[in-house]
Amino acid sequence: MRWLRRGWRFVRGEVLVLPSRVLVLAFCLGLLALPLLTRDPYVLRVVILSCLFAIFAASWDLVSGYSGQVSLGQALYFGAGAYGSALLNHHLGWTPWVTIPAGALLATLTGALAGVPCLRLRGSYLSLATLAFPLILTGALFALPSLSGGELGLSGLAPLVRSRVGFYYVAVVTMLVSVFAMWLVGDSNTGLLFHAIREDETAARASGIDTPRYRLTAFALAGLFGGVAGGLYAHFVRVAGPSTLEVTLSFQAVIWGVFGGVATIYGPVAGVFLLYPLTELLALVPWLGEHRLLIFALVVLVILRVMPQGVAHWVRDRIERECRRCKARTVATRAACRVCGADLR
Amino acid sequence: MLRSLLVTGLVNGAIYALLALGFSLIFGVARIVNIAYAGLYMLAAYLVYILLNVAGLPAPAAVPLAVAATVVLGLAVYRLVIEPVREHESAVLISTIALTLIFQELVLAAFGGNFLGNPVWADGIVEVLGVTVTYQQLLSLGVVTLALGGVWLVLNRTRLGVAIRATANDREVANLMGMNVRRVELWSAALSAALAGVAGAVVAPLAVIDPLMWQAPLVNILAIVVVGGLGSLKGSLIAAFVIGYVEAATVFLLPSGSFLKGAVALTIMVGVLLLRPEGLFGVAFEEER
Amino acid sequence: MPSRSLHAAALVLAAAALLAAPPLARAEAKADPIKIGIVGPMAFIQGEDAWNGASLAADQLNAAGGVQVGAVKRPVLLVKVDTNEILNVGDATNALERALTRDKIDFAVGGFRSEAALAMQEVAADAKKIFIVTGASLDKMSANVVADYERYKYWFRILPPRSSDLVKASYAMLGAIAAQVKAELGVPVVKVAVLAEKAAWTEGFVKAAQANIPKMGMELVGVFQPSATATDVGPDLTAIKATGAHLVFTAVSGPMGVALGRQAGELRLPAIVFGINVEAQKETFWKSTGGKGNYVSTLNFYADVESTPKTMPFVEAFRKKFGRLPTYTASSYDAVMILAAAVTGAGSVSSDLVVPVLEKTDTIGTSSRLTFDKGHDVTFAPGHTVPLGVQWQDGQLVAFFPNGWQGITFKGVKPFVVPPEMKKK
Repeated sequence: MRWLRRGWRFVRGEVLVLPSRVLVLAFCLGLLALPLLTRDPYVLRVVILSCLFAIFAASWDLVSGYSGQVSLGQALYFGAGAYGSALLNHHLGWTPWVTIPAGALLATLTGALAGVPCLRLRGSYLSLATLAFPLILTGALFALPSLSGGELGLSGLAPLVRSRVGFYYVAVVTMLVSVFAMWLVGDSNTGLLFHAIREDETAARASGIDTPRYRLTAFALAGLFGGVAGGLYAHFVRVAGPSTLEVTLSFQAVIWGVFGGVATIYGPVAGVFLLYPLTELLALVPWLGEHRLLIFALVVLVILRVMPQGVAHWVRDRIERECRRCKARTVATRAACRVCGADLR
Repeated sequence: MLRSLLVTGLVNGAIYALLALGFSLIFGVARIVNIAYAGLYMLAAYLVYILLNVAGLPAPAAVPLAVAATVVLGLAVYRLVIEPVREHESAVLISTIALTLIFQELVLAAFGGNFLGNPVWADGIVEVLGVTVTYQQLLSLGVVTLALGGVWLVLNRTRLGVAIRATANDREVANLMGMNVRRVELWSAALSAALAGVAGAVVAPLAVIDPLMWQAPLVNILAIVVVGGLGSLKGSLIAAFVIGYVEAATVFLLPSGSFLKGAVALTIMVGVLLLRPEGLFGVAFEEER
Repeated sequence: MPSRSLHAAALVLAAAALLAAPPLARAEAKADPIKIGIVGPMAFIQGEDAWNGASLAADQLNAAGGVQVGAVKRPVLLVKVDTNEILNVGDATNALERALTRDKIDFAVGGFRSEAALAMQEVAADAKKIFIVTGASLDKMSANVVADYERYKYWFRILPPRSSDLVKASYAMLGAIAAQVKAELGVPVVKVAVLAEKAAWTEGFVKAAQANIPKMGMELVGVFQPSATATDVGPDLTAIKATGAHLVFTAVSGPMGVALGRQAGELRLPAIVFGINVEAQKETFWKSTGGKGNYVSTLNFYADVESTPKTMPFVEAFRKKFGRLPTYTASSYDAVMILAAAVTGAGSVSSDLVVPVLEKTDTIGTSSRLTFDKGHDVTFAPGHTVPLGVQWQDGQLVAFFPNGWQGITFKGVKPFVVPPEMKKK
């Protein structure tokens, strides 16, 4: 009872005061409650895939948005996770409950390895270099068809959970936990150092920060979460193929991330949950369905013209205001800061 | 075999040089990674296809027309899509990616995903050093040389060229010296689009036209400009031949590994980066702001 | 354009099916339609032909009043399922599941890109709905049926035959062509270069080449494996020319097929280009190679020859409606036809009841006699499925095989032509 009351006080005092936090809470509860409303396998499938891509897009944000190392090859981690867990499941017959974490570890290692040559690069250079890694891995996989299945990939993988609703909960919970973890990292000291590296690496270095270590950490973390998403994807679709390493997928991560708003973690998640179901909805309408990629690209282009910072920033700036004195955020309808009482007009 | 390798590498390298130069130019001057450059390359190939097959023009008329149309398109892209968001580096990146997807989808809607080919206008072969070279390849080599020579002349022998190089060197100082930086950037966008157009118009007859044809050269271009040093025109030129020869060598020395040629080129890129992070000829712009 | 208006009509139909309320639909039709999802990349010829072939079948069935199911005749309604699989594999599984749950299709027909087809096989197995493949050749899919019958029994394939059978057929043709080269050019040993895209389906092809070509009394001078997405084989062909090969034995399904025909012609490659080349099976090949693809030859399934008594009526009807020769994904025509027959036989549209009837299918299709083997693949043997060998001869796609092979000669085959370029030497 006391716990409940304390929990309620926390919700009232910390969550309900800010519309953005209310939105997040409603989003989480909505996701958890969805199977109570519908068990339509197609709806659940779209939400499951949205969850997996949300983890993937957020992992892109961690390395690109926070530490400023804009990755154009994020599919490397998705593919490494997918192939890593698929190889273990397919050749050794391990259960997905083991192979997915193992695949994620492999992706972490891949991330750190890819980070090494990138340490000496920055800016656009680094972006272009990262584009190469998934393609090199694809070449290697094609060279070993008996191991990787060549262009067919590895199929007939064991499902993680047989029932759709079961997998739905695995996906939603994994997504919420991973995203919250990434948000914590972003909010921690490490996240602060990522910001510092992005803004001015030399200055950060001059202040005695071991910047290469933090840059590698960013890559490894992106690998970890990208790998989790990839592993889950492989055991959901039950095929791990070269399409998990394609340039298109890397570009998708960038589009979701920038569309939602970088350096926020929740932005890319919002980007995925807006754009992915949108393209699926379009597919339901005959004529629009055939041109959904075109519409998707147009929407992205127009939205970026209107809100170059991304949707999340734009919405947040409309519903909340930041106090100039204490940096706390307050509902836009209020005239004074909720923390220090400063005038917001 | 060595001779075949020499000739094939030369042809490959020259085409890559043409592709990479325009990309490198706009990056060097405006510090913009323009993915839509590859999209323009694809559109130019389709424009030539339309002019030759639908409008029925002869090749000498169709190619300049297609290049001119590509320049107009390139300028429109620059003014309408890139300029409004250029303050946000990542917004430029995804705007140009989205734009390229739009190009791809429009072409897909109009032509379907079929693999098309342009008619061969210059049919015939010659033996060079005992290696068969087609007229089409020779013609491409000639056009590439002309285009590269033209760019060199513009950059080194005209006032505009001086302005472009100055802006590439230091945008702010160039601005302070009274140059109209914005106009210089527009001019380089036009020049860059023209190079994409020439590449699309001249290279396309050598291979196949399809809505996804922008992806493979994009990766090659990126490898080349990174190896050569971003923004360094000389570097891009040399790196284009390095990659051209590496690919040819992969095919000749390891025929059953021909599919690896892209991956080998990219691995070399990573190798170069490890040894010389700024690329072969890049300036180590340590503190640019 | 006839195909455009057909698209429009199909779209209107599909839209009506989506939007019309169930009672209204029932009032209009005599009975609920049998819904068949046509699954494919609709922006590409593979998807387009899967749709075209199936729509011909549906038109014929509906003109005859529909399909007899128990006591009622039910019309056939095709649902266009654009999988976009060539551009995005993830889209394919979503699209099939959408069709299964939203459009409530009873059966699915189509599929092309291997990776996507495998993923869709899983979706169909989960939903326990019949899925007849008309485009992907990998062995793995029928191996699944053998390995786990209960789960995958809903899966069938009409064309193409599994890739290991395709390889066998191409060797039969290779032997015939090599004999002709030997006789006409008087060379003691025929030199063969293998050009196979790097893909799982060509792996058996390459291994067989290394083992069989020397055994067949020929010399293997090189194996070239460009990427499946390559659009330029200039370097490879230059290297092949240097080996002095008489025959370039190909296994190509991607854009390279066009580049191959074109660049071989431009380089005046003095060799026969023969094998599996999906692009060369299309009538657009001549134009896309700028006429340079003369004498290129490939395995094929439809041409203007009588593979079965039903071939020519089908090819002519297809050409009349769509203005060109069908490619192999148009075997969706046969798929819809045997499905309809099996539904009548089972007296139900329930996949579980239709599967046993479908397994016993023995009928003459448009390209072969259709019977299914243990892996639910079409039986591949003389008297059942025999592929054609076709060659481009001055803008015409001419069938040259089977011409006396195992005693089989199809009506309409013409002799194979050795390119004059080879006789100059």
